[in-house]
Amino acid sequence: MPGWLWILLAVAGVVVLVAAYGYNRLVRLRNEAGTGWANIDVQLQRRADLIPNLVEAVKGYAAHERGVFDEVTRARTALRQATTPGSAAVANEGLTAALGRLFAVAEAYPDLKASENFLRLQEDLTDTEDKISAARRYYNATVLRFNTAVQTIPWLLLARPLGFRAREFFSAEGDIAPPEVSFAP
Amino acid sequence: MTLQEQIRANRFRSAIVVFGFALLLVLVAGLIGLALDLSLGAVALAAAVVYGVFALLRSRSMIAGFTRAHELPPGELVPLRRLVENVSIAAGLPVTPDVRIVDDTAPNAFAAGLRPEKSYVGVTTGLLSTMPKRELEAVLAHEVSHIRNRDTYLMTMATVFAGAIALVADIGFRTLAYGGRSRKAGALVGVLAVVGLLLAPYAALMLRMSLSRRREFLADAGAGEILNDPEAMALALRRLEVDTTTVRYAEASTAHLWVESPTERVGSHGAGILEFSSWFNTHPPMRSRIAALEEAGGFRLPERLPTDEPFATEVARIR
Repeated sequence: MPGWLWILLAVAGVVVLVAAYGYNRLVRLRNEAGTGWANIDVQLQRRADLIPNLVEAVKGYAAHERGVFDEVTRARTALRQATTPGSAAVANEGLTAALGRLFAVAEAYPDLKASENFLRLQEDLTDTEDKISAARRYYNATVLRFNTAVQTIPWLLLARPLGFRAREFFSAEGDIAPPEVSFAP
Repeated sequence: MTLQEQIRANRFRSAIVVFGFALLLVLVAGLIGLALDLSLGAVALAAAVVYGVFALLRSRSMIAGFTRAHELPPGELVPLRRLVENVSIAAGLPVTPDVRIVDDTAPNAFAAGLRPEKSYVGVTTGLLSTMPKRELEAVLAHEVSHIRNRDTYLMTMATVFAGAIALVADIGFRTLAYGGRSRKAGALVGVLAVVGLLLAPYAALMLRMSLSRRREFLADAGAGEILNDPEAMALALRRLEVDTTTVRYAEASTAHLWVESPTERVGSHGAGILEFSSWFNTHPPMRSRIAALEEAGGFRLPERLPTDEPFATEVARIR
């Protein structure tokens, strides 16, 4: 074989290796983001599951506040039906606003506020909200990493034809990237 | 370098270090074989391997024993467990580590476990009664970072290897001392063996210590990233620095596990002439750890620490 053919083969070999590395990297980053989204989804589900009990508890004391109950139930349904991270984040904010009004109603009923059941539900809800914000930090960080890989050279050349698309952040205000913590030893 | 790149570099270094330790172990056994007796070298190596396997299998409970950490009874300190849960979720750990408590007034914490799924975080009661929630969360995030970065894995390996190397060197010395020299080795090889056996445990110790210091910086940065609040980590470190109590049951063998060096005041160690002695420190000086966080986060710590309510008081009040 002539010399140039060898060189051509060597170059092709290197290109294949680099492409394999890049593909694996993209898959790994996509899976990380997928896990991150699953983490948020679990907590959103948990939050939605707490709502009916909470509404029942408040209803026991303030049955006439029907408007607030309807609003909370609607917000919960919207959250359960949201499929993309962006819409889920918006629905989650909506639920937070509705719950704010529900708790404002509860303020007027000291017996309700002191009831064991209500206190526990409130605590579980706060815990779930903390966990959503923790899961959001992780998810957004993984999305940032994945998107950076997909949108920059060289993996950009690979991502487009193989169907790797940039993912949505879990954020009600559109694409807000979390700050990258860089570290010099 | 971003944190992710740091973590990847960290794992690569881990592989090299484990390889280096194994090499050192074989070298020491080889020295014994060369200078004394080939079969003795083989026996020493076999003993080291048996010791190593046993120690690895038992490491979880051994560390708990050394540090006197006991499990948290179910239903106790639920807010603390929740903090650990939240931090683990934010760090992307697949499983939340257990929490263990050390009854000690000195504020400190550590992480242990070979795999993330089987890890736990130990905190002293002193930490809970000193730190406000925000800083406690940062300390927990620091420990969870150690677990995520596989530092606990590496440090356990390093501890076990250091022990195995000390064991082999010890076997060699005892044989030398009791006149077990059966091989007609040259004087040079004999001297070499003595020097090698003498230095090997220190080489292992130094390797182990330098390892843990680098990882402290990384875990600090990781905690800053997990919480999106590097200032909380810096505040926690400052509070640990100000506090002067030391952990009662701290031993040199587990010193590298803690968030702050549990046995001595690290803050006073500077650079310069003291450089050599600082090779044996498990932790870098607090000042440089805080400075690194300040640089990464772009903030300056206030002169005075916030006087927020400590976590233990907050929990007791809510109850």
